[in-house]
Amino acid sequence: SVEAHKEEDNPQKTMEANGLTPVPDSYDYDLIVIGGGSGGLAAAKEAAKYEKKVMVLDFVTPTPQGSTWGLGGTCVNVGCIPKKLMHQAALLGQALQDSRKFGWQLTEEVKHSWMTMTESIQNYIGSLNWGYRVALRDTKVTYENAYGEFVGPHTIKATNKKGIEKLYTAERFIIATGERPRYLGIPGDKEYCISSDDLFSLPYCPGKTLVVGASYVALECAGFLAGLGLDVTVMVRSILLRGFDQDMANKIGEYMKEHGVNFIREFVPIKVEQVEEGTPGLLKVTAKSTTREQMIEGEYNTVLLAIGRDPCTRKIGLDKVGVNINEKTGKIPVNDEEQTNVPHIYAVGDILQGKLELTPVAIQAGRLLVRRLYAGETTKCDYVNVPTTVFTPLEYGACGYSEETAVEKFGEENIEVYHSHFWPLEWTVPSRDNNKCYAKIICNIQDNERVIGFHVLGPNAGEVTQGFAAAIKCGLTKEQLDSTIGIHPVCAEV
Amino acid sequence: MGWEEMQVRGYPEFVQTAQSYHGRPIFALFCGDKDAEGRSWCPDCVTAEPVVRNELHNLPDESVFIYCLVGDRAYWKDPNNEFRRNLKLTGVPTLLKYGTPQKLVEEECFKAELVRMLFTED
Repeated sequence: SVEAHKEEDNPQKTMEANGLTPVPDSYDYDLIVIGGGSGGLAAAKEAAKYEKKVMVLDFVTPTPQGSTWGLGGTCVNVGCIPKKLMHQAALLGQALQDSRKFGWQLTEEVKHSWMTMTESIQNYIGSLNWGYRVALRDTKVTYENAYGEFVGPHTIKATNKKGIEKLYTAERFIIATGERPRYLGIPGDKEYCISSDDLFSLPYCPGKTLVVGASYVALECAGFLAGLGLDVTVMVRSILLRGFDQDMANKIGEYMKEHGVNFIREFVPIKVEQVEEGTPGLLKVTAKSTTREQMIEGEYNTVLLAIGRDPCTRKIGLDKVGVNINEKTGKIPVNDEEQTNVPHIYAVGDILQGKLELTPVAIQAGRLLVRRLYAGETTKCDYVNVPTTVFTPLEYGACGYSEETAVEKFGEENIEVYHSHFWPLEWTVPSRDNNKCYAKIICNIQDNERVIGFHVLGPNAGEVTQGFAAAIKCGLTKEQLDSTIGIHPVCAEV
Repeated sequence: MGWEEMQVRGYPEFVQTAQSYHGRPIFALFCGDKDAEGRSWCPDCVTAEPVVRNELHNLPDESVFIYCLVGDRAYWKDPNNEFRRNLKLTGVPTLLKYGTPQKLVEEECFKAELVRMLFTED
């Protein structure tokens, strides 16, 4: 059957080149989705609704430390879900402290068990992995735990963990392979450092941790690790949260610093050595200043690298089928219908060039793409005004333009920024900071003072931001905002 | 070695049996009690049981299949019964792989494909 597929590939090419409609019946599947994460699964399940024959290939190449996980992609296994749960664990620790001022009498010293937390979280993730398996099987989507790569215009080779290879053909493909953490490329990085891919299933408490990076991954992880009582240091090469509103990024950093997270600014690690083996062991990190001649050393139980993520697009045979990728970043450029330069090959999710790396974006893009392909719909994914939240100890929710991007696009004289500090009522009694929570909106003066940027720093920022995102999508103006009466007493009324 | 079946009734007997097989893959089907004629008060259990039994030949070697009657309807309806509290069961029939989050609940147990997947895949 391998030969048969090959023969069909060649006439296929000639027919398409001549502009004739290809014969659909010669393929094993209508659609093969490479990658079973947020985008891939959403697309596959949607296609099954239209009775298409769909296959999903999902495979996790183990990390240098040997970590691996089940079906569901980054978000479910090593991203949003465990991150938010560990963030919650840290918040609960804070709440326990606050509770004393509200009259709760904690007689014992409160301690945290990493193992108990991790076990519960992994158990929940396991139920999600299983849930996806059931959902796919129930909707007749074929799922294979195998590494997919293109070997021909309509042919994929799938290799499972035992090394067994199978070939499958499809009329169309969606690439949704996502990303993996980047390593530094210094001695000792892969041998001794961990990444977010390892952290959420780490079978021992990380102890004194150095987090390298200033991304939201770095700050969120540093934040909850410190909140759980660990000694945490963040090593930052230049600025915090590149791409985010810098005014807000600095406030987040300040808050973390005042709440026990150490920062080493303007340094990069140049080597990591093992001092002692163990779980955790002891590592020595040597770092170099980026601004002057200076070297420093430090010892940590764990070094967590969070310096960025790279798309999994270089080893899936895209060159064999002529799909263009950005050679420098690995990202795939697509048109506004998620189509690559090869008409029958599409892409969704974190691997897309110029699009936000968020689960809900991938899901929406995947679903709408499939509806356009098989249900005759025309709606395209709206990537504008997508709300996000960074779950640092002081949460940050945002929708729309950052202040600096608004100034750049509209000109400083054409925007008006309204801002305010606020003190959550719940923070008053336990005497928590009264000047840290903050909200600002950026308005376009020339367009009726339309709200083009929304930023809030405070508890439950995600919950607060979601509603405002809908309002902004409807074209909220400052006047409308002013005339909306607030709910009292909540943070969002500010 | 193939697989073997154990039939138990009630929570303590279930736990004791599961513990005695520690180290081997354990699958369990929880159903409502049967009357003297062998019919369960739980209609979905009546539908599911033959489907599950039909797939038992797919069980991995060395596994144990525990067929567990949970109790009468009144016992089951109590939101605090031991199966609900300790095993987090939400309905009968439930078919699960003990010690893992993998389970099929109610109508999911009617589907041979899903039962087979539970028995055969990691």
